[in-house]
Amino acid sequence: MNPLMRIAEGEGLSRRDAFRLTAAGVSASSLCGWLPVLARAEADSARKPDAIAQKSSKKSCIVLWMDGGPSHMDTFDLKPDAKGKGEYKPIATSATGIQISEHLPNLAKQMHRVTLLRGMSTQEGAHPRAKYLLHTGYREGQGGIAYPSLGAIVSSELGREEFPLPSYVSVGGRTYGAAFLGARHQPLVVGDPSKGVENLKAFVGSGAFDRRAGLLADMESAFRRDYPVGPGKDHQVTYDRAITMMKCKEAKAFDLTQESEATRKKYGDSRFAQGCLLARRLVETGVRFVEVSLGGWDTHDNNFARVKNLSGTIDQPAAALLEDLAERGMLNDTLVVWMGDFGRTPKINARSDKPGRDHFPRAWTSWMAGGGVPGGRVVGRTDKEGGTVEERPIAVLDFMATVCKIMGINPDKQNQSGNGRPIRLVDKGYKLITEVLA
Amino acid sequence: MRLATSFCLLAFLVWAGPVSAAEPATTRAKALSSAELSARIDKLIHDNLADSNIPPSSRATDSEYLRRVYLDLAGRIPTADEAKSFLDSKDADKRTKLVDNLLAGKDHARHLADIWQGLLISKNTDARRVDRQPFTDWITEQFEKNRPYNELVREVLTATGPQDKNPATTFWLTQVTVDRMTDTIGKVFLGSQIQCAQCHNHPFTGWKQDEYWGMAAFVMKVAARPPGNKQTTSPEVRETPKVVKGKKNLPESVKFVDAKFFGGAKPKVKETEPLRPVLADWLCATDNPYLAKATVNRLWALMFGRGLVHPVDNINDTNPASHPQLLDELTAQFQANGFDLRAMLRAMALSDTYQRSSKPVPGNQEALSEAYARMPIKVLSPEQLFDSIVTVLGTPDTAAAAKRAAAQKKAPNGNGPRQQFLALFEGDSDADATEYLAGIPQVLSLMNSPRMNAPGAALRLTQGLGNSEAVDKLYLATLSRRPTDEEREKALKVVRQSDTPRQALGDVLWALMNSTAFASNY
Repeated sequence: MNPLMRIAEGEGLSRRDAFRLTAAGVSASSLCGWLPVLARAEADSARKPDAIAQKSSKKSCIVLWMDGGPSHMDTFDLKPDAKGKGEYKPIATSATGIQISEHLPNLAKQMHRVTLLRGMSTQEGAHPRAKYLLHTGYREGQGGIAYPSLGAIVSSELGREEFPLPSYVSVGGRTYGAAFLGARHQPLVVGDPSKGVENLKAFVGSGAFDRRAGLLADMESAFRRDYPVGPGKDHQVTYDRAITMMKCKEAKAFDLTQESEATRKKYGDSRFAQGCLLARRLVETGVRFVEVSLGGWDTHDNNFARVKNLSGTIDQPAAALLEDLAERGMLNDTLVVWMGDFGRTPKINARSDKPGRDHFPRAWTSWMAGGGVPGGRVVGRTDKEGGTVEERPIAVLDFMATVCKIMGINPDKQNQSGNGRPIRLVDKGYKLITEVLA
Repeated sequence: MRLATSFCLLAFLVWAGPVSAAEPATTRAKALSSAELSARIDKLIHDNLADSNIPPSSRATDSEYLRRVYLDLAGRIPTADEAKSFLDSKDADKRTKLVDNLLAGKDHARHLADIWQGLLISKNTDARRVDRQPFTDWITEQFEKNRPYNELVREVLTATGPQDKNPATTFWLTQVTVDRMTDTIGKVFLGSQIQCAQCHNHPFTGWKQDEYWGMAAFVMKVAARPPGNKQTTSPEVRETPKVVKGKKNLPESVKFVDAKFFGGAKPKVKETEPLRPVLADWLCATDNPYLAKATVNRLWALMFGRGLVHPVDNINDTNPASHPQLLDELTAQFQANGFDLRAMLRAMALSDTYQRSSKPVPGNQEALSEAYARMPIKVLSPEQLFDSIVTVLGTPDTAAAAKRAAAQKKAPNGNGPRQQFLALFEGDSDADATEYLAGIPQVLSLMNSPRMNAPGAALRLTQGLGNSEAVDKLYLATLSRRPTDEEREKALKVVRQSDTPRQALGDVLWALMNSTAFASNY
């Protein structure tokens, strides 16, 4: 074997795929007959895993990502008798016997739709590694491979080929990418939901634009002939996706001003609220995976003022999202997941005069609603200090595999990594959370 | 053979010292001329290709070379006139002369300043009020003077005083905490991700936590605070007699150990003595095992798209160089030449290896990029892309720019067109140079923003030219070459069919500037 030659076919595979800006997809050839070169480029690369499988599942997923790691004991798993019980009181909810923080009054009224997973127990306590793990289901660097995030997996498994928008959209910040699943499944990153996607309109009339694009297509074809190896394919794929978006009516989904004043009011004014509303609009249009992120949960100091504030930020919009999805008959096909990097220590630190809580992956809470998940339930239990999972621990693999199952995706499916290794959507060794599977 | 390899690996794991470079320096190498060094590069790369039976690609055309060397050394593409004069020159020595001109130019210094600012100056939120411009100006000037690199590093490492008196202090003002300071020194000056050993002993490299905290001890007495909201005096960097404690300075994982050179000795120092000069004496010494190696590896990556050790900041015994002897020789030459950045870049730029086409030939299409059988195609960095767009279209509206420059004085780090562009295109700083990082929002702005559609741009470039010469000029201005007959004919067809032929030239320019070729360094 020649060590300086490629082992398996495949070009342009990146070692690191996380946190890229890339937000493209291989062109759907049916959409760009007027850009023949790009269509051809796609035919060249139609081999798996870039191509999309047609699947029957109608489900979509919205992840509300709480960046920094929310304190479980100050949100959804209060421990009034613990040494580090904190400053908040638990309140009753619409689900019998389930209590959550007093600063989540609107979500309290939605608990009959929610299953709380109070036994989350994961391995990584540093932000970057924890975020990677919770987004991909794999440890960063495991086997020397970059892994696709859940959003890219959903895009590749459930995205429809003829759908003109990216099937994976991230609102409010960068996120993890598609790795070996290919540029087609990279997330479209929307920084400010109220601005949507900027520069969507051509600067010139559509006749002139098509003339320009035709010229471009000829140039691309010539370049690709001369320089077949390199980043050219990703460039062309990204242009093709962008042009497809410019030309489609579905892109209106990014325009929040099309919503009624009443609906907008229900969600609220904050950027996170607008992100939740945008997520609903996108899912309604056919986007399969939307991540809406809210930062600020890394409350090493001043935990109680900050978590109260953050609770206020999520409470109304997240509750409005569940209510809105239910009213529109979309909730059963839309899985909503609330999660973050990890939980926070039961012990309150004494870092300053404004105490905080530190990273704590061993026991924490996430929740699911919709997508057929039964509501009004709690799965798992921590001890009275909130530091140990006493019942039904949930590992990352269990969580990932269960989300796949809910979405109608087979977690055991294998894709080929860039160097030709078979990689499961979810690694072996998971135990499904049967309590949330309908 | 196999057995021997595993044994070596095992030996490394058992021996588990930081880097083999920590062995005592051997006798100083004799300095080679630039041409001799280029020849060494070619010999060592070529031997490897011959052993693997991989044919090299042919020599890059003048146009390919011109565009590549402008982007790599000056950070922008050439103007149409610069391209024309190079392509039409019959001088047999024109590539050498071009490289010498570029290396002596202001754009080269500015390009290196962009890169080093990215490496040394943190943009994290703690440091957002630190004005980065003084550092940019200062380091640009150092590169313009071709200051020996170890002297430049020494000045950064020992920087003390108010920022307005000593701009090199900016490094410390933005690397707010001890772990960030240590990590950046490790990544940039040692070429090693020593941060892996911050919280635990490193399982593969054998780095002990004490190696990390031994290095961190050198910077624990640095008192550097970024300016507050209403601060009017220049922020200042000092070294105090004692460790600067406090949660804002030290991470939770902190260990207090004696200052110790990475993979080396514990220096004898008095407790109250400033420690950064001691660190600088060691790191910037000619025979320091890390600085020269980390630097030539990084320069190689700037020119060739990947380090001889890759990733560039991960030099350790478990991640060997693709061409270990070449890396050692380049290191020794850099030391022998007094850390002369320009001489090293010159030798690389004039090597046959660098002058290879990125077009594959039969038998090397599947070759890995570390074989250097053909030039890898790099993606333009956001800075290179913006500066190349400006090279084609001209500087954005100068009156507005002046107004913004005035506003920038009030708001550090400003919000001018370049900063806005960089903010939109900024990608993963650890990504490979060959990775395409732009996504849909970036591509939409390249297609549809007013700047990229300025109606006067094509007219200005092609003033007074007939249609055919005009098309040639647009190709020269964007791709640094004339169009092929087929390309010219296609463009002219669009121009002829249009009701407004001069506007159709704008269409040609738009397509050129949105092409893969424009966004690539091939």
